[in-house]
Amino acid sequence: MDKEATIRSKARLHDYIPLVGRGTIESLYNLAERLSGKTIVNINSTFSGGGVAEILMRMVPLLNQLGVDTRWMVIKGNESFFTVTKKFHNALHGKKEEITPQDYALFLDVSNKNIEEMQITGDILFIHDPQPVTLIKKKGEVGEKWVWRCHIDVSNPDLEVWNFLYQYVVDYDATVFSAPNFARKLPNRQFLIHPSIDPLSDKNRELPKETIESVLNKYNLDMEKPIILQVSRFDYLKDPIGVIDAFEMVRKNIPCQLVLAGGTATDDPESDKVLEEVKERASGNSDIHVLLIPPESDIEINALQRVATIVMQKSIKEGFGLTVTEALWKAKPVVASAVGGIQLQVKNKFTGLLCHSIDGAAYALRLLLSNPEYAQWLGKNGQEHVRQNFLITRHLKDYLLLFHSLYHHQDVVYL
Amino acid sequence: MPQKVMEWLLNNWLGLSVPIIVFIASIVVSIWLRKRLFNYLERVLSQIRWEEKKTFLDKTKTPFLQWCIILGAYISIQLSPLPLSLKIFFGKILSSFFILSLTWIIIILLEKILHIYLKKMDLFPSNTTTIIINGLKVAFLVVAILIMLDLWGMPITPFIFILFIIIFFAVFTARDEIINIFSGFELARNSLIKTGNYLKLESGEEGYIIEITKTNMHIKTLDGKILLIPNSRMLRSVVTIISKPLKQATQPFRFYTRLHLKELTGLKATNIYELVDILKKVDDAVIYYHTHNFIEEFQYLTPQPANDFALWVSDALGDQVLGEKLSNIDTFEFSTIGALRERIIDVIQDEVAKRKDINNAPYGREFHFIRSISAIVPTSYVTHDLREFIEMLKLVSLDTLYFHIFESRLRLHKGVNDFSIWINDCLGEKALADEIAVLDPYTYTLEGLRSMIISIIEKHLEREYAVG
Repeated sequence: MDKEATIRSKARLHDYIPLVGRGTIESLYNLAERLSGKTIVNINSTFSGGGVAEILMRMVPLLNQLGVDTRWMVIKGNESFFTVTKKFHNALHGKKEEITPQDYALFLDVSNKNIEEMQITGDILFIHDPQPVTLIKKKGEVGEKWVWRCHIDVSNPDLEVWNFLYQYVVDYDATVFSAPNFARKLPNRQFLIHPSIDPLSDKNRELPKETIESVLNKYNLDMEKPIILQVSRFDYLKDPIGVIDAFEMVRKNIPCQLVLAGGTATDDPESDKVLEEVKERASGNSDIHVLLIPPESDIEINALQRVATIVMQKSIKEGFGLTVTEALWKAKPVVASAVGGIQLQVKNKFTGLLCHSIDGAAYALRLLLSNPEYAQWLGKNGQEHVRQNFLITRHLKDYLLLFHSLYHHQDVVYL
Repeated sequence: MPQKVMEWLLNNWLGLSVPIIVFIASIVVSIWLRKRLFNYLERVLSQIRWEEKKTFLDKTKTPFLQWCIILGAYISIQLSPLPLSLKIFFGKILSSFFILSLTWIIIILLEKILHIYLKKMDLFPSNTTTIIINGLKVAFLVVAILIMLDLWGMPITPFIFILFIIIFFAVFTARDEIINIFSGFELARNSLIKTGNYLKLESGEEGYIIEITKTNMHIKTLDGKILLIPNSRMLRSVVTIISKPLKQATQPFRFYTRLHLKELTGLKATNIYELVDILKKVDDAVIYYHTHNFIEEFQYLTPQPANDFALWVSDALGDQVLGEKLSNIDTFEFSTIGALRERIIDVIQDEVAKRKDINNAPYGREFHFIRSISAIVPTSYVTHDLREFIEMLKLVSLDTLYFHIFESRLRLHKGVNDFSIWINDCLGEKALADEIAVLDPYTYTLEGLRSMIISIIEKHLEREYAVG
């Protein structure tokens, strides 16, 4: 049988008023009021683990607090099914995967079972990512509007996998992508909804001074020296060696320390190798701290971001880059590569500095370390930019507007 | 028993007939007299400009008949063969009816006439007027009761004593209220303080009077708090009246908010040729998005970056010259999106004509065309005058400000912002409306714009409504 989540959020909508203003919350209530009577059903593949579950865990209770009847269901699938969907995921990201006809058959077999067994009711069916995409076959019998929310970058996919999914995607009333360059041209309406961070989560909330100090002590960090921080899993695509190179160029003239904090991905055999390489490259330099942070260490990451002087994200390829959003929210000057969703967040010289090379990164670091007032100005702008565009309240607003837009086709709608 | 009654009636038929005849005659005479008297009164009053004459005549016509009947009955009883004690008893009953009827009429007339006159004279706030009238009604009722008690030979001293004690305790308990009520009379008599005045007390509180009640004044401070200042304190305090009451709008202004969603068109440009081609095809909602997106997304930046086209041409294509030319397009000059689109296309085409080579954007940095979907929703903020307008403008979200200033003017084809339209049309303040209309909103952050509009209106209020 399918599962339906009963979740309660600790955060109350009113708790966001000091952060985003009363007007913003009132607008949400205003939009939600006009959706009364509609039931929204979110369907994805898991209640825990991964970005989609994390965001639904927070969004669903808040939508319900707004008075919009919002539910969350997951599809059922065995290990083989999720191995196939993981391959789909990688292939959609452009990675070469060997997907056999048996894989497609297995995917369809499990999907058909879900279509038969899931007791879905509701007005707007909000399907997340490729795993439950075939549920659209129930369109004729359930719901008024069907939306496919694609959380991944499908701009350069393995076309075989994309074409397989396309036959289902086109039947949706609308699709939603996280960034313009993550999308593909489709015949149905495509909406752009950026991801968001929750300012009240452990990863982003204000921390007491003692907590921050305890984290600094735990990792033997020197508070007197400026800290350059990159938070990311140990992956070649995050270019940790490039970060060390840039740091060393700067370190020659300006005293500072580098913190590379992150974990290793269980589904990525390369990540242990990357970690080893990074440790080896950093060995002998006492100003470089390579911290292997276990999962669920949100408060530690938060503390590290709060003590950092500059936050880097020198990725070679990046999704939306929510670690950048987190750093900007903490008013930190950011030096980041001009890739993926980072470009939406870091407007060069307004909300941070973009770089295209190791030299560019080193130059930006030197500029910020030598001009703390400029660095502070960028950090402040970055924080405001996140407040306006990348907090969960904006995400809620976009979802509410999306639900309304499904029933209107004009570009100016009076609600 | 019936036989005895019959016998008594036979023996006294003459003594009974006279009072009955007198009673019937008195009714006939009363009707005739009432008709003549009221005709006469109508004639006399018609020559007098007294607006309440109709009320007076209507309210006294029926009671006059009652009084005539009571008089007729009284005379009849006095002429009847009844024993003296019964005559006195019935006389007292009829007198009591007369007193009650007269008191009732006086109270009704008093209420009607005083209410109209006190309101016209505008001496007191409406609550105070009601208190005065009710006080007088109670006083007349008490006098009537005292007369009746005296009539029936009952001692009135204890009654007066009890009444005195009740009044004493009532006054003692409500002494502050009474002082405030009398202070309210005094303030009203002076007519210096009125609803809408902006004033400052010597103790530092300041704000607008939004209501004057019998006991206190409701003052709304600039930060939206409501202060209740007792009338007695207002009378004792040194009060500086800073402004006169404000003009009330013929139609209130409701603030709306505009929330927008981005819709992908699936169109993207890699170089300026493609940019121009697509610019010619896309709908106005796309042009609107790319010329206004920065205002919302980067509303905190001063100065705000230019339109998306200028930024992309400079950053992704590295074409600084064209980027500067596109940045220099003044969106405020245009009252339609169509005209703005034409200018953007002209600027690009003029520059492209001079080029031999053009650059392509690197992979991943193409220009994606996005459509702006606006949802317009009413808010709960409604304003009736400029002071309220300022207070609400401080509270509304930036989306609301954005909608009334940018979206209404250009996207909804009004040609001018909503605030100026309301100030001109509903308040008749043309100069102020024009001052806000000529403000170039594209050169401010949204918060800066909010402050600027508030400052312009504050100065206007100071200039036009300040006392002295």
